Amino acid sequence: MIVSSFVGYRGVNIKRGGGKCKGGPGSNFPEMLVDCPSFSKPQRHMYDDTTAIDVVDLLKVFEKKNRAAVRAVDYISFRVRRGEIFGLLGPNGAGKSTTIKILTTLLPPTSGSASILGYDVVSHPLEVRKSICVVVQENAVELYLSVRNNLRTFGRFHGLTWSEIERRADGVSELFGLREHQHEKGVDLSGGLKRRVQVAKIFMIDTPIVFLDEATTGMDTFNKRATLQAIREESRKGRTIVLTTHMLDEAEELCDALAIVNHGRVIAAGSTDNVKSMGLRLLNVSLTFERLTNDILRFIHAYHPYKIETSDHSIEVKVREEEAALGILAGARQTGLLRHFEITNASLEDVFVELIDKKESVTS
Amino acid sequence: MKEVLAVMYREFLIRRTSPLWLFFDVAVPLLYLLMFGVAFDKALGLGLAIGGDSVSYNQFFLAGVLSMSCFGSAMNQSYGFFVDRDNGIFYEFLTYPMTRGQFLLGKILFQCLMSVVQCVLTLVAGVLMLEIGIQWEFLLLVFCVVIIGTAGWFFFLAIFAFLIRRNDTYNTAINVAYFLLMFLSSLFYPLENVPGWLKVLSYGNPLTWQTDALRFLTIGVGQIEFIVIESLCFGVFLLVSFWGAIRTLQRAI
Repeated sequence: MIVSSFVGYRGVNIKRGGGKCKGGPGSNFPEMLVDCPSFSKPQRHMYDDTTAIDVVDLLKVFEKKNRAAVRAVDYISFRVRRGEIFGLLGPNGAGKSTTIKILTTLLPPTSGSASILGYDVVSHPLEVRKSICVVVQENAVELYLSVRNNLRTFGRFHGLTWSEIERRADGVSELFGLREHQHEKGVDLSGGLKRRVQVAKIFMIDTPIVFLDEATTGMDTFNKRATLQAIREESRKGRTIVLTTHMLDEAEELCDALAIVNHGRVIAAGSTDNVKSMGLRLLNVSLTFERLTNDILRFIHAYHPYKIETSDHSIEVKVREEEAALGILAGARQTGLLRHFEITNASLEDVFVELIDKKESVTS
Repeated sequence: MKEVLAVMYREFLIRRTSPLWLFFDVAVPLLYLLMFGVAFDKALGLGLAIGGDSVSYNQFFLAGVLSMSCFGSAMNQSYGFFVDRDNGIFYEFLTYPMTRGQFLLGKILFQCLMSVVQCVLTLVAGVLMLEIGIQWEFLLLVFCVVIIGTAGWFFFLAIFAFLIRRNDTYNTAINVAYFLLMFLSSLFYPLENVPGWLKVLSYGNPLTWQTDALRFLTIGVGQIEFIVIESLCFGVFLLVSFWGAIRTLQRAI
């Protein structure tokens, strides 16, 4: 008996975004807006067209003694709308954290401009800092203070009253499972718990923009889930969230829009759905047979798959054309050995890998 | 102002958790006065002749101890930047809704409070245990010099704390600087009879300026015109150090 499931399969007429983005000095943003259709992801909320973050031709060059200067950020441009969850993705050293540091007034740019709610990060750093809160990449916890005092000092720095601090500290302690650790000092906490304290702090205050630099790193599954849920809630309330992460499934699940950066440049940007469909026309066909035969492998190879992986009685094939996916499926059914099949779109990770690979090969 | 108070509150919470740090801040200069001062006082017997005045070593050393406590206090606070940087919290601080100046001001105001407490303890111990005669009418001015002195040294040392990335390098540099600044100053001995080169170096040392002002205010030794010039020089040192600290903090990432 064939059990068919169509998880993620959108039928024969699979819709693909046709957006293409041009990268490079001074050229990314306007073209992207034109070429990348606005996203249509459901259940999103509180959107307006007001710009929360505007980055134009941002350049950051690190001069090093006796070494070539490093362009950590190479004329990046992008825009984040209010209430949006925006992902800044890229491999290590791509320039994500440097971009976040510029946006959070930690680093001055070499050239270009960046503004938060209309305030330039260079000329109005204080106004910018009043509008943001940040989970920095480093584990930032007061080691000699208790968890409760960590929350208290954070509240004081952000101008909360004593009673408000206590009320909100109770709330986030409950949300992030910190209640039983209230009196433990930062120095005694595990890495994951330190991260939870750090992330919990940002939910104590109401700044309109939140930056999360690898915020869920080191967290266990349960706390990561709670954090992602809390981020979604904050976004529903209208807060703009900018996050960097290596966990692409997390980004895919959370982000309304994203930019993929590599070597300091934006190589793709737009809504998550559009970025997923950019540059990559891959479908993932998963087939499970009663047994795998050489005939099956032979006919699948005839469709020139982009990638093929086998394990026991299953086979995963990535193909670029819908016709190929359907052809493989039809062929598989004809064998009479097919037990289960699934056709899905390429994941964000697939897109990410291909976009980075493509860029690398063009560069080389 | 509430930003500055928030920084002070944070410093208070941290200091409260570390009795050893508190001990170093408050008690070490006091012990210096009681042990080092008493020993030298006995060794020198008749005391020191300064500009026609004769003072006991305990009287002379009192201002040196006050200066030393300001420097030590500032050194401790500047060392805290390394702890904050290693914790990662330093970078988070710099994204909080306050200026770099408010951040530094909060830290130094707290440390100045500590220095004033230390000053009171030292003066009380000096008067009650060593029978040093103090010009009480200048007490508020003594506090002012202690506060300005602590601030000046803190900003000066903060520049190096931001510039030097390595904890151990900073530690070594600061210990060498501490040694040189203390012994090339009027902290331990009068400068009247020292060799010319030592005198030149010592009078170019802000620690001498501060110590001379404190000595004038506590026991009345020194010439007012000279003390005014030294105080003005220290004021310039404070302003330049503050400017330098802000500049280096802005580039500290």
